[in-house]
Amino acid sequence: MRRIEVKLNLQVVAPLLDLMKETVGDLTGRLAAPQHLQDLDPELRAGWREELLQGQNDDCSRFLAMFDREFFSGGVVGFDEANAESVLRACAAIRLRLRDRELAGLADDALESGSLEAAQLTPRVQKAFMCYVFLATVQELIIRHLDAALLEG
Amino acid sequence: MSPTTARTAPAPASRPETEPALAGLWRVVVLNDPVNLMSYVVLVFRRVFGFDEPTARRHMLEVHEQGRSIVWTGVREKAEAYVFTLHQWHLTAILVPDEAH
Repeated sequence: MRRIEVKLNLQVVAPLLDLMKETVGDLTGRLAAPQHLQDLDPELRAGWREELLQGQNDDCSRFLAMFDREFFSGGVVGFDEANAESVLRACAAIRLRLRDRELAGLADDALESGSLEAAQLTPRVQKAFMCYVFLATVQELIIRHLDAALLEG
Repeated sequence: MSPTTARTAPAPASRPETEPALAGLWRVVVLNDPVNLMSYVVLVFRRVFGFDEPTARRHMLEVHEQGRSIVWTGVREKAEAYVFTLHQWHLTAILVPDEAH
């Protein structure tokens, strides 16, 4: 099984964990992306939503599990075929929630290009933006290195 | 490739067997969102629908530039399974009747 290990800068990433954990907590009972299910049978819709929430929770748990003792001792996190899909989806969910909850005051273009005046942002928004960028970087790493394995999955 | 990935769509068991409004063909439409990465959307399209890279990229660009892309058309039950899978990947996807049929 192919595995990639990435050494992260502990001093940069560790301070982001509390906000990422808080955002995961905020996703409890809430879907990250708005879903338009109005024309579904109500019973089917309820089951659909419940299963999506369960999956979202599982994915976020696997994402947070990457930040274990190995991470705190050396800054290393690992991805392989076993956790890559979950981590990819969890990153998407957390980014979507961060966008809605913490970064709502920023324009899409500014977020996409990263052309933000850091001095004009509150510390909280700065941290949220760093999380947002970090999660995108994790996604890009996984897609670049495990693309073939994911497609075979 | 199976329309569902990590999990299966809830079985639509509660629906009556014959329901004229649900008959015919249905489109799976993906709507734009400003958050998900282009590379992520391409991967999801390839993973879920088995598209080759150029096809997945074409649909992704359609979503990005036109706000939506029809990624699949077919029977309701399978369309629902695809939408469910896209929701698992946090893409905004909807089902719309295919008016051409």
